[in-house]
Amino acid sequence: MTEVLRIENLHKSFGANHVLKGIDLVVEKGQAVVLIGASGSGKSTLLRCVNFLETPSDGRVWLDGTLVGHQSNGAMDYRESDLIPIRSHVGMVFQHFNLFPHMTARQNVMEGPRTVLRLSKAECIERGEKYLRKVGLAEKMDAYPSHLSGGQQQRVAIARALAMEPRLMLFDEATSALDPELVGEVLQTMKDLADEGMTMLIVTHELGFAYSVSDKILFLHQGLIHEQGTPDEILVRPSQTRTREFLRGHATFRLPDAEF
Amino acid sequence: MGYEWDFGIVLRDFDVLLLGLVNTLKITILALLFGVPLGLGAALLRLSSNPAVRIPVGILIEFFRSTPPIVQLFWFFFALPLLTGIEIDPFRASVLTFSIQSSAFFAEVFRGGIVSIERGQWEAAKAIGMARNQTLRRIILPQAVKRMIPAFLERVIELMKTTTLVATVSYADLLYQANNIAQSTYRPLEVFTIAALMYFAILFPISMTVRRLERHLARTGETTAH
Ligand SMILES: Nc1ncnc2c1ncn2[C@@H]1O[C@H](COP(=O)(O)OP(=O)(O)OP(=O)(O)O)[C@@H](O)[C@H]1O
Ligand SMILES: [Mg+2]
Repeated sequence: MTEVLRIENLHKSFGANHVLKGIDLVVEKGQAVVLIGASGSGKSTLLRCVNFLETPSDGRVWLDGTLVGHQSNGAMDYRESDLIPIRSHVGMVFQHFNLFPHMTARQNVMEGPRTVLRLSKAECIERGEKYLRKVGLAEKMDAYPSHLSGGQQQRVAIARALAMEPRLMLFDEATSALDPELVGEVLQTMKDLADEGMTMLIVTHELGFAYSVSDKILFLHQGLIHEQGTPDEILVRPSQTRTREFLRGHATFRLPDAEF
Repeated sequence: MGYEWDFGIVLRDFDVLLLGLVNTLKITILALLFGVPLGLGAALLRLSSNPAVRIPVGILIEFFRSTPPIVQLFWFFFALPLLTGIEIDPFRASVLTFSIQSSAFFAEVFRGGIVSIERGQWEAAKAIGMARNQTLRRIILPQAVKRMIPAFLERVIELMKTTTLVATVSYADLLYQANNIAQSTYRPLEVFTIAALMYFAILFPISMTVRRLERHLARTGETTAH
């Protein structure tokens, strides 16, 4: 198996707030890895370090086997010019969609191929249509975000990320801002992607979805990966007290009867 | 009160007033032409993450915002030639002053528009690999400019009114011409009434546009006007 993402000893501090305290993580090609943890445990921060929306304070990140950044005196040095190609190979879906409101769905999806990949107009249009169709929005290509439901907006956002044909997709609570009745369509889109073999790193509170989609689940606690394993190992037979406490807090997810 | 209005004597010189209006518009438009791009540049520099850039530009902007425009005009007209040895005519001094003066205000309008765009827009663009200047040009400014239009037009009105100061350095703008006619005809009441109406005819439609846009943008929650 090939590694798409490798993280070693990742640290991130905001001033005196030491949020990530040495994360090690490998995501193999085609895997869907789910990150769970309490609010404020650093899940978003970890995802944002993967595409360098945040600059790690320490540690190393490899994408497709290549170390990101330059080493200088043992520390890492990240230049914007090195990070742009990284970001264009890593898709990210945000909790609040962050669609460009002055562009139609199609223009949103074409923006990356056009300005970053500099594809021809015809290719951009083709990609726009291909990925909107993929997320089931062929009918909404010319709609502006304000005329779309939350679920549709989030699917456009997924298409926008996919149009870059990324090696890895990051999802940061992609359904948390949605009305309950719209959550399903977005989770289904994500599930379809996983089934097609997209490599994904997902932060979610939807534990049922996590259970059905993931190859591996990581429980983040106090800046470290406290426990990790298969969905069964983490969600059904967690070995750590903290993990069990966290899961008990999720009333909507009932653990199948298990011998603790 | 038995004042007898006589517009006839004044209207004979209407072409002189019109010439004044044209000169006023010339200064205003040139100040806009230079001031708007200069203001955008200043706004971007003021938003720089580098304090060595941000702070001096900020001070410069605040300096031009908090000194009277007439002092600036006198400075460029009377003091600059002393310093540089280059004579400057009233027209150039006026354009120079009002380009710089208005750019300081436009800088703040631009900055207000830019910072009003949510961080998520920057992040979404960054996340697909867009560079800062691409994001600014394609994502942030198109949204910011739309929100800025009322505040921007507000400044245009302010600018055109402030250009009356150029009369003090003998540039033949509308006010200067009106003053001359008033003195030669002894009809200040009529002259200044007509001059006021001429300013009004230009600025009132702009003011109404601001009103209309503000109402429209308030509905969609997109204004940065105060
Ligand atoms: N840009 C930032 N500046 C300062 N502190 C930050 C910043 N981003 C995150 N933090 C802090 O880092 C910690 C972890 O935040 P993070 O958003 O990663 O948590 P999370 O696990 O995603 O939580 P949630 O489930 O609420 O989304 C918090 O204490 C937060 O206040
Ligand atoms: Mg988060």
